[in-house]
Amino acid sequence: MSKTEMTSTIPVKNKSLKIKTKKSTVWISVTSVILFLISWELISYYKLINPLFISSPIKIVEAATTLFADPRYWQHLGVSAYEFSLGFILAMAIGIPIGIFAGWNRIFNSIISPFVSALYVTPKVALLPIIIIAFGIGAASKIVVVFLMAFFPIVMSAQKAMSTLDQNLIKAARSFTASEFQIFKTIALPSTVPFLLNGIRLGLGQGLIAIVVGEMYASTAGIGYHLTHAGQNLKTAEMFVGVVVIAVSGVILTGIIGLIEKRFSSWKPE
Amino acid sequence: MKDTQSLPKLQSQFLDVTYMNHKTGQEVTALKNINLSIQEGEFICIVGPSGCGKTTFLNTVIGFIEPSNGSILLDNKKIVGPGKDRSMVFQSPSLLPWRNVMDNVLYGVELQKRLSPDTRELAKTYIEMVGLKGFESHYPHELSGGMQQRVNLARALTVEPSLLLLDEPFSALDAQTREFMQQELVRIWSETKKTSIFITHQIDEAVFLADRVFVFGARPGHLVEDISIDLVRPRELKIKREPHFLQYVDRIWQLIENESAKQGFA
Repeated sequence: MSKTEMTSTIPVKNKSLKIKTKKSTVWISVTSVILFLISWELISYYKLINPLFISSPIKIVEAATTLFADPRYWQHLGVSAYEFSLGFILAMAIGIPIGIFAGWNRIFNSIISPFVSALYVTPKVALLPIIIIAFGIGAASKIVVVFLMAFFPIVMSAQKAMSTLDQNLIKAARSFTASEFQIFKTIALPSTVPFLLNGIRLGLGQGLIAIVVGEMYASTAGIGYHLTHAGQNLKTAEMFVGVVVIAVSGVILTGIIGLIEKRFSSWKPE
Repeated sequence: MKDTQSLPKLQSQFLDVTYMNHKTGQEVTALKNINLSIQEGEFICIVGPSGCGKTTFLNTVIGFIEPSNGSILLDNKKIVGPGKDRSMVFQSPSLLPWRNVMDNVLYGVELQKRLSPDTRELAKTYIEMVGLKGFESHYPHELSGGMQQRVNLARALTVEPSLLLLDEPFSALDAQTREFMQQELVRIWSETKKTSIFITHQIDEAVFLADRVFVFGARPGHLVEDISIDLVRPRELKIKREPHFLQYVDRIWQLIENESAKQGFA
């Protein structure tokens, strides 16, 4: 009796300790951000650095209030959101099957591997001049760039996932007369989920870079366009609003992936 | 044996298995001229030094490996590949980590396209038999090594094979758990009476479990001796200390030692 009691109290104690440390670290993070914003404001206020370069938190909030009240700014956001989501969905819809198939079939893998490995490390934005010529300065060229940037991390992760399958599981499945398709469905696909989500997370970051750079380079609308325009007209605060919007979108999208990950890996040890 | 007239459950006739060693490019004979037969309801253990081909033999029975010569007959039908009439308990638990105990136990019947309310009931029965009642919704990582092997066993039993193969299922367990699992297997086997082939390198495990022990020798793998174990059932762990039991262990030790001496190891 006393033995079981002891063993059951130990983990509980540990848990409460963990929660405590988590709470206190959250406070440390919040404090550090607040201190950063205050020093930024003060440095700007006392002109220790030229406010033209760094604006100030209060001015950025003011600029944001006016921008968000302006329907034209929402149009810019809408254009970027449209280009990004379409490019990214295409990257997933094409990249995931290709990556999985490459991991499953050796011949197909040998065909595409050299291209995937080479293009994975190439900054795809370097292709922008040609993409603009081919697809124009409208939405199409941005969709293509987002697609290209997000596509390769997704393909690579799917490929990797398939190459790390547990051979013991496959052997067990075969002993129960499993077909190739059954092995694919019950072992290969579920094994890829964590890798895929990781690839999608990497792809997200790349896609966000693509959309901003694409719009900066040549466009007539979108958040990257607005951001460049604001910068060129010395409206530093407005430019920072754009930067914050992109950063927040990135954090939200990564958060959504984190939630999906949690949902799919509920079986995993902590 | 008792029913020499009736047809054996499993027959291995003039079985040779050779394979290519891709590193050396040479042909290796893993098994040479294996002739043996197993009766319905028998529990067989195969022991032998490493390299004696006992795992190769099991892999040929399950249908992973094709014989180069001779054949294995199960219920008088030649084995040509994996089949629904056989299932295997693996050395590593080989459980799907994202499936709970119930769904892992059902995995075999699912692959054989036999999921039904009946097989679900069967899964429940075997989960209870292996002592995992109440753990149906636990995931493999939440279970100890011994419990994972119980799931591995329940999964193999749920497909209701006519021949059960066990490939060193307790070798990764600690000594105490191992002994305990041996006793559990004796109990489960007495409830199911499945014809079983159990591979191990631990001699006392073989003697404790088996009706007959096949001693294999190495290079190439061959059958050295077929020893009937006349110990009363149901067996309990304490028989391991009885002189009769120890005589069997000694005899098998001798055989394996002689084999090793022939190879120049001892």
